[in-house]
Amino acid sequence: MDELSTVRTSIQYIVVKLGEERFGINISYVDNIVRMQRMTRVPEVAPYIKGVINLRGEVVPVMSTRIKMGLEPDVETSATRIIILKFEQQGYIGFIVDAVNEVVTLDTESIEKVADQKQDGAFVQGVGKSNDGLISILDLNALINEQV
Amino acid sequence: MDVSQYLDIFLDEAGEHLQSLSDQIMILEQEPENEDTINEIFRAAHSLKGMAGTMGYKNMQNLTHDMENVFSEVRNGNIKIKSDMIDVLFQCLDALEAYTNNIRESSDEGSETNENLIKALNDILNGGSGGSGDAPKEKKAEEEKKAPEAAAASGDESWKHIKLGDSETTVLGEALKQGKTPYGLTVKVQESCILKAARAFLVFKAVEELGEVIISDPSTQDIEDEKFDFEFSLITISDKPLDQIISAASAVSEIESVTGGVLDLDSTEIESDEEEETAPAEAAADKAEEHTETPAKSNAPAPAGAAPAKADKKPVGKPVVNRTVRVDIEKLDVLMNLVSELIIAKNSLVAASGSTEDRINSAITDQVEYLESVTTSLHESVMKVRMVPIESVVSKFPRMIRDLSKKLGKKMELYMSGEDTELDRTVVDEIGDPLMHLLRNSADHGLESAEIRKERGKPEVGSIFLDAYQEGNNVIIEVRDDGNGIDTEAVKAKAIERGVITPEQGDNMSEKEIIDLLFNAGFSTAKVVSDVSGRGVGLDVVKSKIESLSGEVEVKSRLGEGSTWTIRLPLTLAIIQALMVTVGGEKYAISLGSIQTIENISRSSIKLVENKEVIHLRGTVIPLIDLHEVLDAPRLDEEDPEHIIVVIVKKGDKLAGLVVDELIGQQEVVIKSLGKYINRCKVISGATILGDGEVALILDANVLI
Repeated sequence: MDELSTVRTSIQYIVVKLGEERFGINISYVDNIVRMQRMTRVPEVAPYIKGVINLRGEVVPVMSTRIKMGLEPDVETSATRIIILKFEQQGYIGFIVDAVNEVVTLDTESIEKVADQKQDGAFVQGVGKSNDGLISILDLNALINEQV
Repeated sequence: MDVSQYLDIFLDEAGEHLQSLSDQIMILEQEPENEDTINEIFRAAHSLKGMAGTMGYKNMQNLTHDMENVFSEVRNGNIKIKSDMIDVLFQCLDALEAYTNNIRESSDEGSETNENLIKALNDILNGGSGGSGDAPKEKKAEEEKKAPEAAAASGDESWKHIKLGDSETTVLGEALKQGKTPYGLTVKVQESCILKAARAFLVFKAVEELGEVIISDPSTQDIEDEKFDFEFSLITISDKPLDQIISAASAVSEIESVTGGVLDLDSTEIESDEEEETAPAEAAADKAEEHTETPAKSNAPAPAGAAPAKADKKPVGKPVVNRTVRVDIEKLDVLMNLVSELIIAKNSLVAASGSTEDRINSAITDQVEYLESVTTSLHESVMKVRMVPIESVVSKFPRMIRDLSKKLGKKMELYMSGEDTELDRTVVDEIGDPLMHLLRNSADHGLESAEIRKERGKPEVGSIFLDAYQEGNNVIIEVRDDGNGIDTEAVKAKAIERGVITPEQGDNMSEKEIIDLLFNAGFSTAKVVSDVSGRGVGLDVVKSKIESLSGEVEVKSRLGEGSTWTIRLPLTLAIIQALMVTVGGEKYAISLGSIQTIENISRSSIKLVENKEVIHLRGTVIPLIDLHEVLDAPRLDEEDPEHIIVVIVKKGDKLAGLVVDELIGQQEVVIKSLGKYINRCKVISGATILGDGEVALILDANVLI
């Protein structure tokens, strides 16, 4: 790390659950969190794209975070939520997660880069610590990248 | 002088005048004696000169001024139109266009004075009218420079005679201390004017927007009561320049002339001295003329040198009251979005009113139906506002073809039809370049030289056609030529040479596939690279541009007979009438514009041709497309074993039958983009939100066929 990044900054993350693991999503990308709703299937798209929903009059694609990350397919429960993220290039994209827990503030310095290549390692930027344990910080750009 | 707020109007109007000049000069080339045309050109050049002068664009003003001189002589019959003269005039137009482009980009006209063109114009003038060219020009140029200052002391300006009382003098003194300038104005109302008081009121209002009116003669009360002849004077103080006040005042219709100047406090109550009055009188007259014809001219002796050019100037028609408004396209976009929202809300209401079973429901249903018809008309109106005829784009093409004809040394003629076909404004703005590429392509590659045409028994003059027309929800623009057509063998050889395809691939390609290679980037078949076309950019740009407008381009060609390029563009980009259908329990919308008929077909009448399902319908063989397969939708268990529902869609002259499960009905749908993230799906052109908030996908029948 060079000198420039030693400036202490903290970022807020929304903590979501996929199975037992807790993941952090940079809150600056989050536009909205909605309950599961009826989705319209779109043909000829990648299997992790579950369809499109109507978000305040806009048509928003929704992907299964689990399928994208190579986990077990989603089981819909009352806790299941769609987190709507807004990207500069791609616009709004929804991500299905098992549950949304809390918002935590993490120091950028306290986030450690991960070296191990677990199954979902390609989508994790680093690991941060909160009072309740470890939080894997999701690499959102990797998640929306088609190649992976 | 701050003219920036008028810049848009100036550019718009300059564009119109340039186009009109170009059109008229084209006509003039064909009919050199056409007096209407000559007058029209003269008027346009004159207006341009006036506008450029007002905005302070000197170079542009000088050039138009000399063009105007030439036409004045033409009109007097002193000069005959010759072909080389037309060329010079076109060069002038190009120069003027360059000025306006510079102005558009930097609000500065640039330093190019186009001396050579001015000289060429003067040569024409000298050749035709026996050497009277330069002298009057110089004199007039000087005179025009004098105009602004000189106008102040013009002879017949009665504002000088306004008597100032004590209070006015005090106010004026105050104003001077604040750095404002007192001006005097004399306004002449046209004698045909009926509501003089109203016009005067508008003048007052215009002036008061820029400054403060101190006193008027006759008094404001008398003016309101129409107690004046056709002239009134006023004194105003303002921090704006005089030109701006004068132009504001003369913008009021039925005003014949506005003259004015800086008020000299010392000389107002006494008669201004002799010298000041007579000398610049001509200048004032000249200035007044810029607005409209003025009696002032008869009062003021015209300058001797400029007489031949100026003396017989006809009145420039008074500005017709403008019934149009220029609206920023962004405002229309906002309006359009709101209408879209309204339609979605209306659709929800329709859905909601259908689901309840109350007795009072019939009243609601009535109102909802009424709302439905209102929103539909509203949508149509907003669409119409956004529609402009493609004329604004295609009108420059005849000139272009003329130039190409000279440059390439081929004889050709452009025939256009359907210039009044309307398209969404955003589409019209973008379609110019692709069309230009196609026309140039036809002129350069398509048409053969006159000798070859003769050998082949074709008329020596090649024809290029540009036809536009509406077909359903699409607008078709065709560029057609009777030239050589596309030599598929040459295209294939070139593609192999360029490494676009391998020789093996080439052998297996159909003629159509080979022609489509032309749209590849970096592909050019012209053996000689000319500056007209053949740089290898063009067709691929054409294709991507048209696709970005959700359109398509197609080529048909017969070797030796010519080619036809067909551009198909959607009429509207936002709201369409659609047929809602279900396929495997999912709802889909199909644009009504592409639907021909809906048929109930018995399964037994389906035939197999080349292993593909087809049906015979009224003498035509129509291939069937099962949407379940295309959309990967589940098949329903309770399928009708005997009949299938087929939606017959058309694209150009091609038909196809789409097999669906169920018809829901016709609905107005707002097209929403699926977003950049899902763009791999070709058969879906977008999505729409139904009344119950559900999202339904819109099928692009054009892709399916």
